[in-house]
Amino acid sequence: MRRLCQIAATLWRADPWAMARGAAAALAVLMMGAALLGLSGWFVTAAAAAGLAGIGVAFDVFRPSAGVRFLALGRAGARYAERLLTHDATLRALAALRLTLLRQMEGLPVDTLRRMRSAGALTRVTADVDALDGLVLRLVLPALAALVTLLGAGLMLWWLVGLGLALAVASGVLVFGVLVLGVTLWLSTAPARRAEQARQALRHASMGLFRGHRDVIQQGRLPLARAQIDTADAEARTQEDHVARVDEGAGLALSLLIALAGTAALWLGGQAVAAGTLDPARAAIGLFVALALAEALMPLRRGVTELGRMLDAASRIDPTVAEETLEPRSVTPRPGAILALRDVTVTAPDRIQPLFEPLTLTLAPGDWVALTGASGSGKSSLLDVIAGLRGAAGGEILLSGLPLADWPEAQLRQHVTLLPQRALLVGGTIRENLALARDDLDDTMAWEVLRTVCLDHVIEQAGGLGAVLGEGGTGLSGGETRRLALARALLRRPALLLLDEPTEGLDDATARQVLTNIRAALPRAAVLMASHRAAERGTASRVVDMKYLGFGISHDPDQTVPPPDGLGKAQS
Amino acid sequence: MTTADRSDAAPRGRMARAGALRVLGDLMWPVQAAAVAAVIGGWLAGQGTGLGWLALFLGAGALRAGLSQLSGRIAFAEGQAVVEAERRRLLDLLTLRPGRISSAEVAALLADKISLLAPELTRYRIAMTRVRVVPLVLLALVASQSWAAALVLLVAGPLIPVFMALIGMAAKEASAAQMIEVGAVNQVLIDRIAALPDVRLLGGFDRARAGFEGRVEALRARTMAVLRIAFLSSTVLELFAALGMAMIAVYVGFSLLGEIRFGTWGAPLTAGQGVFVLLLVPEFFQPLRDLAAAWHDRAAAAAVRDEVAALHADQGAPILGRGARGRRGAGAPSLVLCGGVARGIALPGITLSAGQSLAVTGPSGAGKSTLLDVLAGLLPLERGTLAVDGAALDHTTADGWRARLAFVPQVVHVPDVTLGAYLDPLATGVDPAEALAKAEAGGIVAALRDGLGTRLGETGAGVSGGEARRLALARAFVAGADVILADEPTADLDTDTGAKVIAALRRAQKDGAIVIAATHDPALIVALDGAAPMPGGVS
Repeated sequence: MRRLCQIAATLWRADPWAMARGAAAALAVLMMGAALLGLSGWFVTAAAAAGLAGIGVAFDVFRPSAGVRFLALGRAGARYAERLLTHDATLRALAALRLTLLRQMEGLPVDTLRRMRSAGALTRVTADVDALDGLVLRLVLPALAALVTLLGAGLMLWWLVGLGLALAVASGVLVFGVLVLGVTLWLSTAPARRAEQARQALRHASMGLFRGHRDVIQQGRLPLARAQIDTADAEARTQEDHVARVDEGAGLALSLLIALAGTAALWLGGQAVAAGTLDPARAAIGLFVALALAEALMPLRRGVTELGRMLDAASRIDPTVAEETLEPRSVTPRPGAILALRDVTVTAPDRIQPLFEPLTLTLAPGDWVALTGASGSGKSSLLDVIAGLRGAAGGEILLSGLPLADWPEAQLRQHVTLLPQRALLVGGTIRENLALARDDLDDTMAWEVLRTVCLDHVIEQAGGLGAVLGEGGTGLSGGETRRLALARALLRRPALLLLDEPTEGLDDATARQVLTNIRAALPRAAVLMASHRAAERGTASRVVDMKYLGFGISHDPDQTVPPPDGLGKAQS
Repeated sequence: MTTADRSDAAPRGRMARAGALRVLGDLMWPVQAAAVAAVIGGWLAGQGTGLGWLALFLGAGALRAGLSQLSGRIAFAEGQAVVEAERRRLLDLLTLRPGRISSAEVAALLADKISLLAPELTRYRIAMTRVRVVPLVLLALVASQSWAAALVLLVAGPLIPVFMALIGMAAKEASAAQMIEVGAVNQVLIDRIAALPDVRLLGGFDRARAGFEGRVEALRARTMAVLRIAFLSSTVLELFAALGMAMIAVYVGFSLLGEIRFGTWGAPLTAGQGVFVLLLVPEFFQPLRDLAAAWHDRAAAAAVRDEVAALHADQGAPILGRGARGRRGAGAPSLVLCGGVARGIALPGITLSAGQSLAVTGPSGAGKSTLLDVLAGLLPLERGTLAVDGAALDHTTADGWRARLAFVPQVVHVPDVTLGAYLDPLATGVDPAEALAKAEAGGIVAALRDGLGTRLGETGAGVSGGEARRLALARAFVAGADVILADEPTADLDTDTGAKVIAALRRAQKDGAIVIAATHDPALIVALDGAAPMPGGVS
């Protein structure tokens, strides 16, 4: 609950002015609705009284009828403004929440982020944000508007009709309304939360079944997996039914409350009329206002029954952002070797032994080294380690003469750029993608780097730097995507450039051309390149072969594998 | 089909009942209005408050609330029943047809989208029933008191079809706008989170955040532009309701003052009649407003129905058998495929018995995977015969055949479970050590910090392609499979790793298993007993 309040506060603070506008409009709708019914009721009854008394001519019809028309039109207008402004405020608030989430994720380790790329984890995040859109729209704003309306209506009734009736109608509706909604909340939160969890289980079970569909059939687990889905579904439906019953019960209770308030207004008004302390027209106001209060109360039900779902989502979202710790310290790079590795070893998560034999390597400015080795031998992991994304298992890494760990993040990123194997582009224009690399990007710089990666003609044909790519950078071929990511990395003009299979998906001629251009564009940069292509190795000044230790080392000499050729001979 | 008929016919009956109850509840309002009119009329006549009228007001109000609640209950139960039936139908269809739809799509459909069928019943259909009855009855009641007041409503009446068209258009635009908003902003967020590792490497967190803000703000502006128009159309409805209310209040007021002397049936309007008419006006428009609010539910349900119908229309053949744990055939395995055609692809003739192996060759696209699917009973033959263990492979024998068979796909799906659970999915408790050694996979487990307790898959330790294939083989050995189908088991592996996979397959064959591998790796082809090129292809 505290978390939800924090989120509500975050949403509100995102744009307090937009929220206030929405709240004011929501309040205007309810107030004008109550006033319209009250005034109409008073007007008709007062007119009838005047008519009966034969003083119809003296009755001022124009002000009340103008009031009725004003309130009627004003309410329609206010309704329009309310819908528009509350949606606007919600969109702004959710945008701010999403930005907060994005900012938080910036702090996560790169390994975690890479794993999160699987669709499941990311859709979970967006589903949670979506679940929270009702928090402002259906709970906070309507509740505030209802509360103020009830108080306002109470004051108006006190002034126009009398304290007793005001207390009976406004406070009665307020107290019992809060009571009903409180009980609704109390009864629905647990099942709503369980329903959401069951739904999550259903999602998980279907993903599990259909992702490994052939396996499941193969192993004869289909009826079992199906039963799992059916169980989760049945549980979700049971809980949803539970929530619906509570919701319906709340609706029933609130309707009865309004009927009771109306009856009380009629009874108390009648008493006052009979006692001669109140004229019938004013007495009628009580009833009409009581009926209008239904509009303030009823919509709150939905927000309250959704609260369980919101709480569940809120428990996974932390709206607080840690204050960025400014790193005042900086290091002074030393001349000489840009990168020096001494006996460096790297392990993969969950593994005991290093991926490759200890590696020693030195790169001076202008050096171009290709790392080779079997797939999975740890080339990419080593580049990750040098880029400071994870730690080494052993050995020493010096960057421009200073231990890697001493480099502050910002300075490290200026000094070293890694083009990972699966570099992703973002949705947006070509220019936006390139601009991720530097603040001062201009068109000349952009075209120059596109020429370096032999992409200028492609981009020209696609419509220039303003050409729009889909989410994830769709719209370019695999090789083009690769080169645009490469261009982005080159824009950084780092002292040490780490490239993980930079020309994957390019034909040999283009690959050679691109590498030659890079060399010409960054003559002083030291380049370390994980590679498995002859075209890439050809441009390198040195080739380092990594000895994969990997898995599957047989400890029992009897288990050693005969070479495949031997097998073939044995068969023929 | 019969389920579909039932699930359609039943709601029609019960939904009619739910609709009728709700209409009956709505019609309690004129009773309450009459009671209020009588009370206020009494006040004006100096008669005091009639307790009977108060009781009627409260009683009718309670009845109204009760009927509405009952109607809601029936409609909700029906909505649930329809959703459940549709979900079951869809699962029946999809679970027996692997590879038809992505797992993310299935999960979204089953867990979220199908549920959208319910609000159409609980909200839209009920509102539709009310629109057909309630305004007409209230109009008649108003007309019985004052034809002029009824005329005001009647002016709005013929406009109702216009309203409906407007509402329909507005809702369409509104839902389109919502789609843009929700879908697009979520996509942008996912896009940016996915790109975070790259953004970090480019030192561009600030720039990326600014870009995200700009995009989301642009989307908000676009959405609001659409909503401004969409909400305007439903405001027209509000406006008519408000104007109707204002005009009738003024008309009634002037009549009661004696300033207006037309519009009634002879005698001038009494105070009670005036109050009665006034109270009916908002309820005349209410069902229309509810229908407008529910229009979106119908559009959403229609979209889901289209999606589901497309899946049902595009029916491929189901797998043979039920995908259940079958009784495993006794004795040594055997397999004879003769004159087979599946998915329009001619399959090679194959005769294999225990301890024999075969490489199926051919360029990609020649149907090698189709052949493996046929052999596993996942795809029925269009022509030809397939006999396994001496009997035709059909619905009765397929589950038993699969119980002795293991399939090693090119891309092994590693679920999010522990390695131990992965190797022994049926929890038989067999010690996997021997099987791991046989599959050349013992070292993989030895190198993991938590051994068999290590979690694999998306959230756990990554294994390389070759390692995953050896683990899949180990799993086949744990299950005691003696028929092994492998799809490109050595593709994309370096020579050493490939040799290990080949050695594991050879070892299985030596122990009496049938081994069939789809491949174009010369080292593997030469390691197996023979090669069968796909008839359409070149080996």
